[in-house]
Amino acid sequence: MAEDVQPSRNEPHVAEPLTDRRKGGIIITAVALVLLLATFYVSSPTVPRVMAILVAVVGVGVIAGWVPVRAPQDFYGGLALVLLSTFAIVASAELPGQRGFAFGPGTAPRLFAIVLAALGVTIALTGVFSDGARIEKYKIRGPVLVIVGISLFAALIRPFGLIIATYLAFMVSITGSKEMRWVESAIAAAAMTLGCVLLFVYLLNLPFQLWPPSNALQLFVNQFADMFKTLYLLLQKFVPGLK
Amino acid sequence: MSELLSNLALGFGVAFSPMNVLFCLLGALVGTLVGVLPGIGTVATIAMLLPITFGLPPVGALIMLAGIYYGAQYGGSTTSVLVNIPGEATSVVTCLDGHQMARQGRAGAALAIAAIGSFFAGCVATVLVAALGAPLTSLALLFGPAEYFSLMVLGLIFAVVLAKGSVLKAIAMVLSGLLMSMVGSDLETGAGRMTFDIAELADGIGFTNIAMGVFGFAEIIRNLELPSESRDIVSSKVTGLMPTRKDLIDASGAIARGTLLGSLLGILPGGGAVIASFAAYTFEKRMSKDPSKFGKGAIEGVAAPESANNAAAQTAFIPLLTLGIPPNAVMALMVGAMTIHGIVPGPQVMTKQPELFWGMIASMWIGNLMLVIINLPLVGVWVTLLRVPYRLLFPSIIVFCCIGIYSINNAPTDVMISAMFGVVGYWLIKHDFEAAPMLLGFVLGPLMEENLRRAMLIARGDATVFFTRPISGGLLAVAIVLLILAVLPMIRKRREEVFVE
Repeated sequence: MAEDVQPSRNEPHVAEPLTDRRKGGIIITAVALVLLLATFYVSSPTVPRVMAILVAVVGVGVIAGWVPVRAPQDFYGGLALVLLSTFAIVASAELPGQRGFAFGPGTAPRLFAIVLAALGVTIALTGVFSDGARIEKYKIRGPVLVIVGISLFAALIRPFGLIIATYLAFMVSITGSKEMRWVESAIAAAAMTLGCVLLFVYLLNLPFQLWPPSNALQLFVNQFADMFKTLYLLLQKFVPGLK
Repeated sequence: MSELLSNLALGFGVAFSPMNVLFCLLGALVGTLVGVLPGIGTVATIAMLLPITFGLPPVGALIMLAGIYYGAQYGGSTTSVLVNIPGEATSVVTCLDGHQMARQGRAGAALAIAAIGSFFAGCVATVLVAALGAPLTSLALLFGPAEYFSLMVLGLIFAVVLAKGSVLKAIAMVLSGLLMSMVGSDLETGAGRMTFDIAELADGIGFTNIAMGVFGFAEIIRNLELPSESRDIVSSKVTGLMPTRKDLIDASGAIARGTLLGSLLGILPGGGAVIASFAAYTFEKRMSKDPSKFGKGAIEGVAAPESANNAAAQTAFIPLLTLGIPPNAVMALMVGAMTIHGIVPGPQVMTKQPELFWGMIASMWIGNLMLVIINLPLVGVWVTLLRVPYRLLFPSIIVFCCIGIYSINNAPTDVMISAMFGVVGYWLIKHDFEAAPMLLGFVLGPLMEENLRRAMLIARGDATVFFTRPISGGLLAVAIVLLILAVLPMIRKRREEVFVE
């Protein structure tokens, strides 16, 4: 194994550096452990539990440097698919399965999840046994600001109306680009907002609130209260004794 | 034959009503407008513009969507020729010779030939769709649940084999799509599946949310991290719009061959239009007496792929309209749009709603005609649009998509779900997974599961039914052979070559 860890000069493709592996391994192990924990709250846990344990072991192996990851794209991609199918099996564990000749609601999800898991394992294995592309570095700034912009739109559209939501979403997401210029952006945002109002509200007659109503703040807060309530209800299922 | 004519007459009667012509024109115009913008593919264009068809009657909405589809396709070739940036995957090869022609001052001729080729291909394909519609529909009536399931498996395998990249990964994507389609209430028992009792998930994950996330938002996030491209816009005024007589003669053979190839490949499921344009270009290069002129502004190199991708784009409607099976991601979006309007695509559309079926087919022809008429004079407008810098374009696309998603159900959660799928799409790009098979799996998921369950119930739990029934067994056999061929190393190499060129 040592020869895989140490980059040799003759080969163009070498195993990815240990620091990257640690990151990948830690993420995989963490997700696998969370799924493992979740299996303790469902009634038929054997299959997903075994899957989660296996992935966690592989994850630890990656952290320790025992697994020669030669094609990180495939290796981590495949493992992520295995985790996805484990999640699907946990999520559909409570659904009744086959009864007589008839499929139950849970049969098909579990069936497809198992096939997906098998494919995921195969893809991950190709990442160990053959050379392949590294994962390009993830950028933080652009994606985060764009997602924040979109989320802002979602949070503002109900309580504050179309105009404010559109303008702010535009202004936040545009900062995701390094070439952003403030004055130009402010003008473009105003123009785009006007265009959208004209198109969606006047031309297409879609029922949008344009300006914030008087109880806008109240609505804004309620929205988040609802969200937390849903999350709390979800948490209640997994944490015993939470009322 | 007379039936075909009377059907087409009915269709043209519907499509030529002033309102529908207007919808078609509007669709083609907006489609081109968005299709011209670099970095937005056909799927994202249609997903983006889906909401604006909601208020229309079903026939009008579908006609407009078809217009948007062709417009988006055509807009892609315009950017290929003028800026050397393919707007769509289908017009990647058009860049090779189209942009060279533009640099030699023949941008007008290139665009005109693309339009004329597309129009000719569109005419042929329209007749083909009309002619094949009826027999295929009667074939569909022979199909039971087992056959439908096998047919969908075959369709998905086709999509996987014809897509670029790893076959294994593409199948995994199809399965992920199938799994995601199962979130929500079970069709038969009504039990909530994988919903965690969250009310917003009871109806399942919205299909437009996924499409917009992985094709719209993810692409934008991805483009942001690429170095800002130096756009090589052909700055000289586009002159000489009409091709010379010699151009026309040179291109005519290429157009005919491209149309033929495109029509055949389009019927096959899986990125038909993309494959068609690559195949037509390669074929034309092989056929040519002087292959060395390709890549240096050969007009055949524009005519063939453009005719082929348009023919394929149109014949792709055949499996959708007759069997109810979308052969690619764009058609999957069409299914979504039809469902929103309360139409279940499939053989029954033709018998129950003939005016919709034939109206849409006739409008395809009208749409193509419109593209020829509106696009050539509007080239100047598209060039101006291409000068808008990306830093201003992308936030505009984002807010437009946000409003569009929100307007479907008036649900802010839909916007959040798309944002999440934007992140998922970004991850997929980083790990070299293709999103299109996932979307196809997602759309076919409910249909596949329903037919699988019905077939198993009818066969009293005997899974061999899929192999013992002749049609079903035949379809699966073809699927298996295809899969084996695709995995064989020799063919795999050829596939890579096709995509590299």
